[in-house]
Amino acid sequence: MNSNIDLKELWAKQETGIPDTKDLVKRVASFKRAHLKQVIYANILLLLVAVFIVLVWYYFQPEYITTKSGIVLIILAILAYLFSYNQSIPLLLKSSYEMSSADYLQQLLSLKRKQQFLEGIMTNLYFILLSTGLFLYMIEYTMRMKLPLGIFCYGITAGWIAFNWFYIKPKTIRKQREKIDGLINKFHLLTEQLTEKK
Amino acid sequence: MDIQFEEIYATYWQKIYRLCLAYVNDADWAKDIAQDTFITVWQQLPKFRNESGIGTWIFRIASNHCLRQVERNKRIPRSDVQTEIPDTSEPSIEDKTTFLYQCIAELAETDRLIISLELEDIKQAEIAQIVGISEANTRVRIHRIKEKLTQKFTRYEQ
Repeated sequence: MNSNIDLKELWAKQETGIPDTKDLVKRVASFKRAHLKQVIYANILLLLVAVFIVLVWYYFQPEYITTKSGIVLIILAILAYLFSYNQSIPLLLKSSYEMSSADYLQQLLSLKRKQQFLEGIMTNLYFILLSTGLFLYMIEYTMRMKLPLGIFCYGITAGWIAFNWFYIKPKTIRKQREKIDGLINKFHLLTEQLTEKK
Repeated sequence: MDIQFEEIYATYWQKIYRLCLAYVNDADWAKDIAQDTFITVWQQLPKFRNESGIGTWIFRIASNHCLRQVERNKRIPRSDVQTEIPDTSEPSIEDKTTFLYQCIAELAETDRLIISLELEDIKQAEIAQIVGISEANTRVRIHRIKEKLTQKFTRYEQ
């Protein structure tokens, strides 16, 4: 086939300078640094919040069991978030590139589904723990207030939680879903390209 | 970096770069994917057990790095290919090469990989192994893709 030879010839004409292998080492280092920075920032920030809450417990010595359980729940919420965050980042980094494309796409699909499941469960857990924790935590301090002020404080908090529950949470979950669904869909289409024409 | 890797790098860089370029049709992007491929090769080389030929193994890694690009929010190769020649002069070899890579980048993702491997002179049995489809299917698809490309070239050269 004459066109075949032509195509192969044209194909081989495309060349580019070979980058130094040192560039590869630099690339690995910068990728690791960026990844580490991202993980460290998120962890430090939330762990500081947790430490702050523990210090509040230590210095103000709450008397009610509700306050203490509130604090524990808020810290659990933070840990749940961090767990999910730290799990989902390396999930895709673990993927192996050495299989055939068809198997690789299957692997990506299953990893993305795992990530979707994890994020969904963890986001719900985070909001439930945080809202319950906050409600319990406030009881002791509200009891010390006069009734109208107590109602006002709870009203504000309830409003804030409701805003989170009915607006922020669905929005967060929807965003996560859209992103992962989009990718799952693309991986599906790619897989179909390999199965459809068999 | 050890000598074995340096040799592999020197032997396969252009081949892998061409595969990536035909996949994304963007020189810088292709270089990024090719470099990521060689990073994986470098990291996994000590574990490589010769179950498949080294070439098949490297092309598999490169193909999967290409497929992974859907996660990057960068533009998808657009179909702004010049199908008309601006003047009457015969297109140069460079023009034709550019046109070939543009045409390939417009194909379905897995077709891009298959035809790139074929043009790189990889045996069809190996292509089937790399992509994960049967040899018969590989043969049929290569034939169809070549037909498509030839049609485009015929129009381009008219």
